[in-house]
Amino acid sequence: MRTYASSALALIIAAGAVHSKPIAFAGGTTAMAEYGAGTMTEIQAFYAPSFRYSIGGGHLAFDSDVDDSSSDVTYARLNYLPKRWNLEAAQANAFVWGGIGVADVDATNTDQFSWNAGGQLDYETRRLYGSLRTDLHEAHDFSRRIDTLQLGVAPTAHDYQTLAIWFVVQGRHYTGNLYDGLEWAALLRMFKRNAWVEAGVTQDGKLQAMLMFNF
Amino acid sequence: MLFRTFTVLIMLLTSSLAIGATIELKVNGLVCGFCAQGIEKTLRKNPATTDVFVSLETRLVAIAVKDGMDIPDSELRKALTDAGYDVKAIARTDNSLATLRARADEAKK
Repeated sequence: MRTYASSALALIIAAGAVHSKPIAFAGGTTAMAEYGAGTMTEIQAFYAPSFRYSIGGGHLAFDSDVDDSSSDVTYARLNYLPKRWNLEAAQANAFVWGGIGVADVDATNTDQFSWNAGGQLDYETRRLYGSLRTDLHEAHDFSRRIDTLQLGVAPTAHDYQTLAIWFVVQGRHYTGNLYDGLEWAALLRMFKRNAWVEAGVTQDGKLQAMLMFNF
Repeated sequence: MLFRTFTVLIMLLTSSLAIGATIELKVNGLVCGFCAQGIEKTLRKNPATTDVFVSLETRLVAIAVKDGMDIPDSELRKALTDAGYDVKAIARTDNSLATLRARADEAKK
């Protein structure tokens, strides 16, 4: 496990960073929707009073690829940016978050208190990026964590007003009987001004997609 | 001697008060257009601002200000900090934003 984590961090540092960030800018609002190959579907919205933190909430649906069980979590969350490195031609970030919510568990047909915690490390230049993210959701009847590694390369360096195009490889590991093994996906990411869209396929041929807006 | 001292003093005072039409900021961490939206949003709210130009290529944020107006350095630094970036240098120049856009385009070639 330690070797795996060290390798992932080394890849991030070597390759560059993460784009999807839970805090945009002071006074900014971020809205995100992600469809994760049928295993997880999530919507989130956050408002950032400061560039250091944002508050908001989301809804996350888990659908097991292993045993067809499902559960939904509706949560409130605080995101915090303890450290940002603004370098001359790169930026790196360390985010953490935590929150509470209600889990609707289909197997027992119950609503349960749930809590969540996670973090993200990212580093990016205009041509390369990498990120490592972990997101844990706990309730009485389940404990599920989603670990995501993304590495990307841009064929050309985009500028402020131009369309950014990125090719991204994503590796995702689920705990809690959601998916057996490591799920890989190839993604095409595009953004311009305050709109972001990405889509791709997993090794199982399933759709992986995300939309995001800052305003 | 007194006249010379007075003249130098006046020149120093007027030069320090001289205000260019454009404020240029060199910014670190400027690598993602999506993430940099907050810079323009914050700076456009300032009553002295007429236009804003952001260039990832030249790591530059430029603000065209209204005639006779200025934005204090402290406000500029706060605006960039709130947007999540670090200001490395601030200069007041006579470069138009069109000139700075042309320079950024040239730098890409």
